[in-house]
Amino acid sequence: MKLTRRDFVKSNAVAAAAAVAGVTLPGVKTATAADADGIRWDKIACRFCGTGCSVLVGVKDGQMVASQGDPDAPVNKGLNCIKGYFLPKIMYGKDRLTQPLLRKKDGKYAKEGKFEPVSWDEAFQVMADHWKKAINKSFEENAGKPVNEMTSRVGMFGSGQWTVWEGYAASKFMKAGLRSNNLDPNARHCMASAVGAFIRAFGIDEPMGCYDDLEHADAFVLWGANMAEMHPILWSRLTDTRLTKEGCEVHVLSTYEHRCFELADNGMVFTPQSDLAIANYIANYIIQNKAYNQSFIDKHVNFTKTPTDIGYGLRPEHPLEKAAKNAAKGKLSPITFEEYAESVAPYTLDKAHELSGVPKDQLERLAKVFADPNKKVVSYWTMGMNQHTRGVWINGLVYNIHLLMGKISEPGNGPFSLTGQPSACGTAREVGTFCHRLPADLVVAKPEHRAFSEKVWQLPEGTLNGKIGYHAVLMHRMLKDSKLNTFWVMCNNNMQAAANMNEESYPGWRNPDNFITVSDPYPTVSAQAADLILPTSMWAEKEGAYGNAERRTQFWRQQVKGPGESRSDLWQIMEFAKYFKMEEVWPGDLLDKAPQYKGKTLFEVLYENGQVNKFAAQEVKDSDGNVYENDEMALFGFYPQKGLFEEYRLFNSAPDIIKKGHEMAEYDVYHKARGLRWPVIDGKETLWRFREGYDPHVAAGEDVKFYGNPDGKANIITAPFEPAAESPDKEYDLWLCTGRVLEHWHSGSMTRRVPELYRAVPDAVVYMHANDAKKRRLRDGQMAKLQTRRGEVVARVETRGRNRVPEGLVFIPWFDAHRLVNKLTLDATDPLSKETDYKKCAVKIVKA
Amino acid sequence: MNLCSAIVHAKPEKAVLVSDRLKTFSGVEVHGGQKEGKLIVTIEGTEDDALADTLTKFNDVDGVISTVMIYHYCGEEAANEEVLQ
Repeated sequence: MKLTRRDFVKSNAVAAAAAVAGVTLPGVKTATAADADGIRWDKIACRFCGTGCSVLVGVKDGQMVASQGDPDAPVNKGLNCIKGYFLPKIMYGKDRLTQPLLRKKDGKYAKEGKFEPVSWDEAFQVMADHWKKAINKSFEENAGKPVNEMTSRVGMFGSGQWTVWEGYAASKFMKAGLRSNNLDPNARHCMASAVGAFIRAFGIDEPMGCYDDLEHADAFVLWGANMAEMHPILWSRLTDTRLTKEGCEVHVLSTYEHRCFELADNGMVFTPQSDLAIANYIANYIIQNKAYNQSFIDKHVNFTKTPTDIGYGLRPEHPLEKAAKNAAKGKLSPITFEEYAESVAPYTLDKAHELSGVPKDQLERLAKVFADPNKKVVSYWTMGMNQHTRGVWINGLVYNIHLLMGKISEPGNGPFSLTGQPSACGTAREVGTFCHRLPADLVVAKPEHRAFSEKVWQLPEGTLNGKIGYHAVLMHRMLKDSKLNTFWVMCNNNMQAAANMNEESYPGWRNPDNFITVSDPYPTVSAQAADLILPTSMWAEKEGAYGNAERRTQFWRQQVKGPGESRSDLWQIMEFAKYFKMEEVWPGDLLDKAPQYKGKTLFEVLYENGQVNKFAAQEVKDSDGNVYENDEMALFGFYPQKGLFEEYRLFNSAPDIIKKGHEMAEYDVYHKARGLRWPVIDGKETLWRFREGYDPHVAAGEDVKFYGNPDGKANIITAPFEPAAESPDKEYDLWLCTGRVLEHWHSGSMTRRVPELYRAVPDAVVYMHANDAKKRRLRDGQMAKLQTRRGEVVARVETRGRNRVPEGLVFIPWFDAHRLVNKLTLDATDPLSKETDYKKCAVKIVKA
Repeated sequence: MNLCSAIVHAKPEKAVLVSDRLKTFSGVEVHGGQKEGKLIVTIEGTEDDALADTLTKFNDVDGVISTVMIYHYCGEEAANEEVLQ
């Protein structure tokens, strides 16, 4: 039989699809000879969203040429979404950065200079000079202060797209090395509210359930998540269950109609912010109908309340902050069940309907699903609930419902916060890259947590800073106010992503007192606003690990080489540490406590400490004998990824750890597995936490134990409806909601470089209701000007399209670098989580 | 050559109709799966063809619930070269 390459590739492609779909096609054989074409296949975690799909990538002659959904992956079972499909192309954009670029004038660095290529050494020398000046100033300001009052003028803005060891190395560099807690990840913008609510309710971060719930549930409730477009693989699994399981229902809550409504049995469009009222109505319904699970409540739940009227996380001089009675307060106080019932009693069906605009029969249908003891329910949410000035509250209100019914921590039952970035969990949340955290759920404010971290990191007592650093939004404000003077942005595009660009971000970055470094593979909006650009080797160009939304840690090997002089973030962080002598970063009295560190570099103290450099350079080989490069290993002369991961395990898996529940397996195990969900005990992963029989930390006879809290109980936390920071008024008469589209991921710095994706959705459009357009004499396809109190943007009007907004609200995606939507948004945050509300502000629209 | 396969999920009662609609797109073949509501589709084009445009348009076809990618090849070699004999 003769076979051309076309026939051959096609039969492979069809066979793979049929196998994944479970469809039998006559005459199609599984072809195995892709290998005949000289392609080397290996697994890798997808670079994009938080789902954590595993992809098989084919490399030929040093270039990635093919990809396939990994059929052995439990997450995606061979499926792949449109973004994953284009993964190989993302590295090959024509404008990849290949050498460091520094703003210069007359041969010297100048803030107003033009970008010129420089060597890595010159780049790091200039950068280190600025950092040392800032550190010196902090020395003076901190003289005589106790560690819990120390401030710092150096800062770093990291990423939920960093690999696990990059985040860990950064955390150690900033917190142990430079004694600065001004390290925050872009995950602050997407999941800080989820984190805050997990900690308040359960005392430990991240979901109790896992993706297996997608096949076990009888009903799915989406609270502000467009899974069909943002998490297509999970949506595909959900769809399968909905279409094959008798009685299965899908309920979708959103402020506009999106693609999930296609499958929804109960699609509900609610007025922004009224989700608070809807959640409380459901709790009230459960109580009024005595549907709650009495024995579960008695054994496993505490009832509490949280302070109200807490402001909107704006600058303290803002009138809204001045008016708030309990700005940023969140201390819980115990209440009785009766007091809790009384607190939700005002949220009747009438009231919920009045506030939300959702028809009563639909609200009631939703409440009944939760209240039915025989229906297993999973709640899903993403930014709709997290990017909310009451984000921690609304997350908690959903937990309340699940806890009242005991529908939690078992197959098919549970609240599940989805994530937007590939390692928002594994890196940003778990290794301590938030300004208040240390690795493995430890926090800087607790002396015993600092003491433990100092022991693992071999630091003298009193090294770690006990004062919470600047969070993401505060960083831009402090840059503007000249209190933060050096800023290193890695693996994200925060000039485009942060809210209120005109009033805070841009003036902060271009402030002459500050030196801004951006590490990126591409010349993003952020890179162009920086003083120094460092070229980054991305994703498959390095050995990596990501942790997804279901606690699954996944590893990959370096597949190809980065272009030109680009280097991974890991190399950049560790190498930069070589530019500091310990005398330049620690004051004399601290160094006197560790005289062995005198005269050493920060690199030697942090990364040549006998732990991180414990594993010698070695050959990286897969089970078929293929050999892979590891550029960082070659450059440092030891296996840094392994050393960093094993040191990190001293925080989460050693016998003397403070907080159990995050245990991980040894490094080499992950290179063989399709990921493992922590806690991993004796090599076994955990699917459902807190439940006897599933979680090894729950002993026989304990049934359910929320062991993150000392008493083993979860907190139901009552909180009322409070209005948004800015609502439409006479002048700015529409709600503005920002978000994403399927084909582009976040700021589009990678996806917009793939020609096919760019053509599919070239420009951001503003989705608006035909009646609203008509009132403004606008027609479909015309250009309109969007104006808020902070700035304006021009975009094409779309009144049909796949997002159908109600009257009174417009939606605009934020991926488009030519339409910087964050000139419009308000930097109001949840006062508890400090996460920005990108979903609600007031806008006026006129003809452009 | 540039080729990919995908599974297009449709409500089973609409699968045949959806299948007929998909076939009208350039470079698209449907290989089966109508009964299950999971259409096995290939899309072919040259190196510069915007297969993603086609895939995106699938989602706008009435009755389509989701489109997922399975396999993608985008090598520069000639498609008609014989690789097996």
